[in-house]
Amino acid sequence: MWKEVRDREAGKLPTSAFASRVRSRRLSALAICNHKEIISPHHGAVNSLQVDLTEGRYLLSGASDGSAAIYDIQQATEYEKGLIAKHKSLFVVDKQHGYGHKFAISTVIWYPVDTGLFVTGSFDHYVKVWDTNMAQVVMDFKMPGKVYGTAMSSVAKAHMLIAAGSADVQVRLCDIASGAFTHTLSGHRGGIMNVEWSTSSEWILMTGGCDGAIRFWDIRRAGCFRILDQSQSQFGRRPPFPERTPTEVVTRTAAAGSSSVNKLISKKKATLGNGKKQSQAVCKLQNLTTSHTMHKSHPGTASSYSRATAHFGAVTGLRATRDGLYLLSSGSDSRLRLWDIESGCSISVNFEATRLQTNKAIQLALSQDSSAVFIPSMSNVKVYDVLSGLNLQTFYGHYDMVNCCYFNMQDQELYTGSNDRHILVWSPPSSSFSDMDEEERKRLNLKADEDNWSQ
Amino acid sequence: MSVWNYVVTAHKPTNVTHSCVGNFTSPQELNLIIAKCTRIEIHLLTAHGLQPMLDVPIYGRIATLELFRPHGEPQDFLFISTERYKFCVLQWDPDTSELITRAMGDVSDRIGRPTDNGQIIHGLLKYGNKMKLQIEIVVFEELSLLIGLIDPDCRLIGLHLYDGLFKVIPFDNKGQLKEAFNIRLEELQVLDIKFLYGCSRPTIVVLYQDNKDARHVKTYEVVLKDKDFVEGPWSQNNLDNGAGLLIPVPMPLGGVIIIGEETIVYCNGTIFKAIPIRPSITRAYGRVDADGSRYLLGDNAGLIHLLVITHERERVNGLKIEHLGETTVASTISYLDNAVVYVGSSYGDSQLCSVLIKLNLQPDAKGSYVEVLEAYVNLGPIVDFCVVDLERQGQGQVVTCSGAYKDGSLRIVRNGIGINEQASVELQGIKGLWSLRSSINDPYDSLLVVSFISETRVLAMNMDDELEESEIEGFSAEEQTLFCQNAIHDQLVQVTATVVRLVSSTTRQLLHEWNAPSGYSVNVATANASQVLLATGGGHLVYLEIEKEKLIEVKHIQLEYEISCLDINPIGENPNYTTVAAVGMWTDLTVRIFSLPSLELLTKENLGGEIIPRSILQCTFEGVSYLLCTLGDGHLLNFLLDINTGGLSNRKKVSLGTQPITLRTFSSKDTTHVFAASDRPTVIYSSNKKLLYSNVNLKEVSHMCPFNSAAFPDRSVWLYELTKKVLIFYWLYGFFSIQCSANDPICFIFLCLAIAKEGELSIGTIDDIQKLHIRTIPLGQHARRICHQEQSRTFSICCFKNCQISNEETEMHFIRLLDDQTFEFMSIFPLDSYEYGCSIISCSFSDDNNAYYCVGTAYVLPEENEPSKGRILVFAVEDGKLQLIVEKETKGAVYSLNAFNGKLLAAINQKIQLYKWTLREDGSRELQTECGHHGHILALYVQTRGDFIVVGDLMKSISLLLYKHEEGAIEELARDYNANWMSAVEILDDDVFVGAENNYNLFTVRKNSDAASDEERGRLEVVGEYHLGEFVNRFRHGSLVMRLPDSEVGNIPTIIFGTINGVIGVIASLPHDQYVFFEKLQANLVKVIKGVGGLSHEQWRSFNNEKRTADARNFLDGDLIESFLDLSRSRMDDIATSMGVTLEELCKRVEELTRLH
Repeated sequence: MWKEVRDREAGKLPTSAFASRVRSRRLSALAICNHKEIISPHHGAVNSLQVDLTEGRYLLSGASDGSAAIYDIQQATEYEKGLIAKHKSLFVVDKQHGYGHKFAISTVIWYPVDTGLFVTGSFDHYVKVWDTNMAQVVMDFKMPGKVYGTAMSSVAKAHMLIAAGSADVQVRLCDIASGAFTHTLSGHRGGIMNVEWSTSSEWILMTGGCDGAIRFWDIRRAGCFRILDQSQSQFGRRPPFPERTPTEVVTRTAAAGSSSVNKLISKKKATLGNGKKQSQAVCKLQNLTTSHTMHKSHPGTASSYSRATAHFGAVTGLRATRDGLYLLSSGSDSRLRLWDIESGCSISVNFEATRLQTNKAIQLALSQDSSAVFIPSMSNVKVYDVLSGLNLQTFYGHYDMVNCCYFNMQDQELYTGSNDRHILVWSPPSSSFSDMDEEERKRLNLKADEDNWSQ
Repeated sequence: MSVWNYVVTAHKPTNVTHSCVGNFTSPQELNLIIAKCTRIEIHLLTAHGLQPMLDVPIYGRIATLELFRPHGEPQDFLFISTERYKFCVLQWDPDTSELITRAMGDVSDRIGRPTDNGQIIHGLLKYGNKMKLQIEIVVFEELSLLIGLIDPDCRLIGLHLYDGLFKVIPFDNKGQLKEAFNIRLEELQVLDIKFLYGCSRPTIVVLYQDNKDARHVKTYEVVLKDKDFVEGPWSQNNLDNGAGLLIPVPMPLGGVIIIGEETIVYCNGTIFKAIPIRPSITRAYGRVDADGSRYLLGDNAGLIHLLVITHERERVNGLKIEHLGETTVASTISYLDNAVVYVGSSYGDSQLCSVLIKLNLQPDAKGSYVEVLEAYVNLGPIVDFCVVDLERQGQGQVVTCSGAYKDGSLRIVRNGIGINEQASVELQGIKGLWSLRSSINDPYDSLLVVSFISETRVLAMNMDDELEESEIEGFSAEEQTLFCQNAIHDQLVQVTATVVRLVSSTTRQLLHEWNAPSGYSVNVATANASQVLLATGGGHLVYLEIEKEKLIEVKHIQLEYEISCLDINPIGENPNYTTVAAVGMWTDLTVRIFSLPSLELLTKENLGGEIIPRSILQCTFEGVSYLLCTLGDGHLLNFLLDINTGGLSNRKKVSLGTQPITLRTFSSKDTTHVFAASDRPTVIYSSNKKLLYSNVNLKEVSHMCPFNSAAFPDRSVWLYELTKKVLIFYWLYGFFSIQCSANDPICFIFLCLAIAKEGELSIGTIDDIQKLHIRTIPLGQHARRICHQEQSRTFSICCFKNCQISNEETEMHFIRLLDDQTFEFMSIFPLDSYEYGCSIISCSFSDDNNAYYCVGTAYVLPEENEPSKGRILVFAVEDGKLQLIVEKETKGAVYSLNAFNGKLLAAINQKIQLYKWTLREDGSRELQTECGHHGHILALYVQTRGDFIVVGDLMKSISLLLYKHEEGAIEELARDYNANWMSAVEILDDDVFVGAENNYNLFTVRKNSDAASDEERGRLEVVGEYHLGEFVNRFRHGSLVMRLPDSEVGNIPTIIFGTINGVIGVIASLPHDQYVFFEKLQANLVKVIKGVGGLSHEQWRSFNNEKRTADARNFLDGDLIESFLDLSRSRMDDIATSMGVTLEELCKRVEELTRLH
């Protein structure tokens, strides 16, 4: 690190390269954390984890006992022997809570804009929106079946929609602003395990179902516009962009969005106008990729006949890369697939020796530059290089199936939740112990070889 | 509260990042365009060298600078793209000498990952005119990747901004830009992209690295119709592992040169030629010939090579490389013309070199074909600096660690102009000082007339270049001289209280005299070569004209009051005659302009106030005529003077000192300047048609006159050697012995100033007239840390140099001790192998009066990611030597050291550690661990104030710690929870801290000690955000200017910062009412001053990092605010009106701010 610091100050190392080098170095040094512990209050499997997107400070966890908890991961609640930071939950909402979930919480997410709200989804068919400060439910949505997954778009400027996937075949979009469902998206032939918003457009939603299909939706249009097909894989050169690339449209939308608030009206116009163009593009693309099986009909309805699958069995995990180019999916076929979002083709990457939980939605995590993916693999967590599929590392530490992982990009820390009810922290090593001077150790009455079993 | 901050640049960026050459300002003119990160400079290539035409700021960090010529255009356009994904196309407007924006836009995308390895920037141009040169310029930083390039046939602009995407902006038939589109680029680890010449379809050649780290080259054709690539004509696999630079070769040869670390390869699909080279990293190239057969290559050791492609019938049959010589480490190379090359550097001074590439020319004695003609100062990268007052005048100077590699140096940066004293004599009671020449056309001054209360003495330069007493027979020696001057027809004129004497300068005999009427004595007088104006008691104003051997009284008027000062300095076209005279009056305190010879009153300007004018001067700077008038209290008024009507306008008032000021003109490098002699001597000069005031490094000057003599040479002289066809410029420093042959008709004009100080007459040379004066101490090694010790009057630096030990490049690190006056090395302490110096301070400890240097080091072992061992070394300076007193081993790199409550506070990797200074039983000293604080990722930057410790973390922003004396422990009080990657921190006051971070932003945070909840108290509130656009390496408290206690700005606290680009900037914490006022002014200025290329100021200054963008707040852009003074009068008036203040008031307030730096 020292050399990088020096080269940066002399201008020899560009600052962005400095940051990415430090990050990748820290990433490659991840190990079970020796200075930080999260004290899990849960009495059941930890199913979902997320750190807030604004400050990177509060970890939210949801567990099978119907409880959700929040921890401050920056500021420890206490220190053991002055060194090991213990992070106890700031508060827990569980079955005892008046409005708590009755059954297992399968998914927890933060409201992306601030830490004032969070969302939980449960097997009791409810999606609940909580006020963080009051620890109270402010809104709930009754879903037709067990809720498996929820998602909110972090790039959204024009909507506050929670996409929720449940045991029902329809994806529902719950609007926090109105408290009602705004959309039901039909197409899947099984329950929906996973929902994921596009990282480049606030209108694009990707869902993975128990039917093995991954469908792409433009929520401004009826029907789904793309179904990923595992047989459509891409060798060699990627296909070109369609004539009018959605990216460009997005760029302009974004430009309009970043203008001041009082131009809201013009912004809306802009997005509508561009939306049309985009969907034309989408139609064209649709025709390009799937026209050989399709008749000329409405792309939305046409797609509902498609039986293309992304995985054999259910799609258990979905994660889009931050650059908006790729989608990673995991399935109950124990496979991990990488997809090119633009073309909808699967990119042939051989992820070595994956073995995945088959009966449950799992939560994948990506590193900051999306070069590495963290995958719960039975009771371990495996790290793969996204583009080559190399297994970079395997984390052993949990005693039971791992359900979820979340990578905190701010601190390069990984949090994993497991059926063993623990939340483990994996972090780059801190030499707090080793660099302590003798005199200080004496002061703290610590001996390196002492543990609870010593006399 | 230091919440409201004003950020201003005291020294502009000097790090040359890009340069290119072309016909930008006119089809006939050849221009060199230089980018200095956030500024562009346009130079014109003339027979006399480079002539600056324009220097403008860009609201962005320049990522690409390209000249290109769309079809049908007679001259080139300039394409600029910025690191925040804006681009613009600029054209020169010959009428206004400004830049016109032809096109602009935003090329950012929501998808794609920024090519985060940095940037490569390419230029590629083609001239229609075959006589002109074709030039390519490249900046290459290792692993760098934001690329912008233009097709040689101007069909499209290509940009590689995000991994896997290639953005194309096509041109239409009329040369207008069309809508951009993206093409997927298969290769993710792209090292370089270039367009190939001579292809029917635009073809790019891509140098990339695969995931097994092997490097290959591939070509793609861009099909505009399909908006896609098709596989290009050829590719080449498995190149040199260090291949990093592509040079496309123009037709008729075509193809591309691939520069590696050990080989250079030419290939074009059919021919493949390779030659081995000495291992080196080539950073820049410049094409010499239009046909692309020769290139100059510059590597990171500063060596320049010539690469020659040998070819036969347009078929390449080999490559040849020749070592030419050494320059500064080049970041860009631009071949100008006639073997003159501009070498732009990021790590040392940029240079203009003459490269003798003709094979028949012989190298000089050192085997070098390179001759440096001119050097342009570059302070970057400023890695560290300290603020000291070496001359003990109450004015800070900045001593920077600048440069890198072999160009490492110390730079002493001082506000104001240096006078280097060459000779002095003790002379009491000097009342006036004039220099005379033996004839009016003589280039040298040979006589110095010194006037005393009742006598006048003449000093002359003798054959041994010494001043000795002389005599002018015709002069009155028993009287005080009021004025004397060389006059036309080889005459001299002397004015005393009673008489005006006209003396022959050859015979020195009196020719004619004019006597004051009896009962009246002359009070003040002035003269030029053909006119004399004098005033006697009773308000009589007498105008005389000088003719051959005759003084003629032309006009005589009486004014109602006594005259205090007058001036007839010629400002019109005739250097010997003026048609206007300026007169300052007692009693009614006016300045009056009279016409000559009629002595008609043209203008009367009331000065206001109660202070009489003491000295008045009319002069012309850069073609603009001014009237300067100083008051008895040290203020200076300046007006624009209309020579024809005598009208005065645009009144401005500044304070230069506290005592009466006398004004005198002098010239240096053919430019007129004014010397204001007072208790705070100042040089007044003009730059960009704006008057600037630079103080001089002298304490008090009562009189000054220019004294140009052969013995005291001007420090810089251009010598044009016209005998050879090649124009060679010699840049001469300091003294040199004159070795002109008898037949050489060149004259040397040396400028000196004769200065009368308290009881002393001295003669000195003057530095270049510029606001900041920079002195360079070359080190030949890279200095990283510096500190000054007052007690021993020494500097100590941590530095290193690269050494070659048995084929392995290693670094040797040292601690060096330098004298703070002479900057001579006094002592050196080598560190262990692998041991690097990281931090250095001078401090003393409690119970010990000695001052020590404390050095923190790290053992950087190749196999370790992070140093796990380091040392703290405590040195005392004894007999000018560094004496190691104590060493203490640490468990990591000592990134920072601070003196803290008589103890030593060290930042060691993740930890803050406090050491106390204890006495052992045997009387020796030791550092003993007291307490520490964990919980940082890397505590890189630490500042302390009282018991408070502010830590800037590698990636976790700022945290505030408190040392608790009773418990002997350090605890965290508060923290900023944002993820800022810090590069420097400083404490502004008890509550507010400023930080600089990795994305070129500044921000301030405030301690919330009064907040209600623990949670809020534990959080440092972000109160200010600002995009500086510069990477700050260091903040230091201090000021570059003398603080006058009476001025309003005297009490504004300032800190100085230094950046990678060589910027020295000032952050001033303004009082709230001032901040509000200037914020309003800034808002008004943004509407009036448009950014070059239509770039928005608001967007440029908005805080921006990977996560978010937010408008700047609680920071003001001083550079913008101070550019108010450059506006035209009418625009200034408009702004003053909308601000609701008078223009004079507004100018005064802005000018006061300019005196902060």
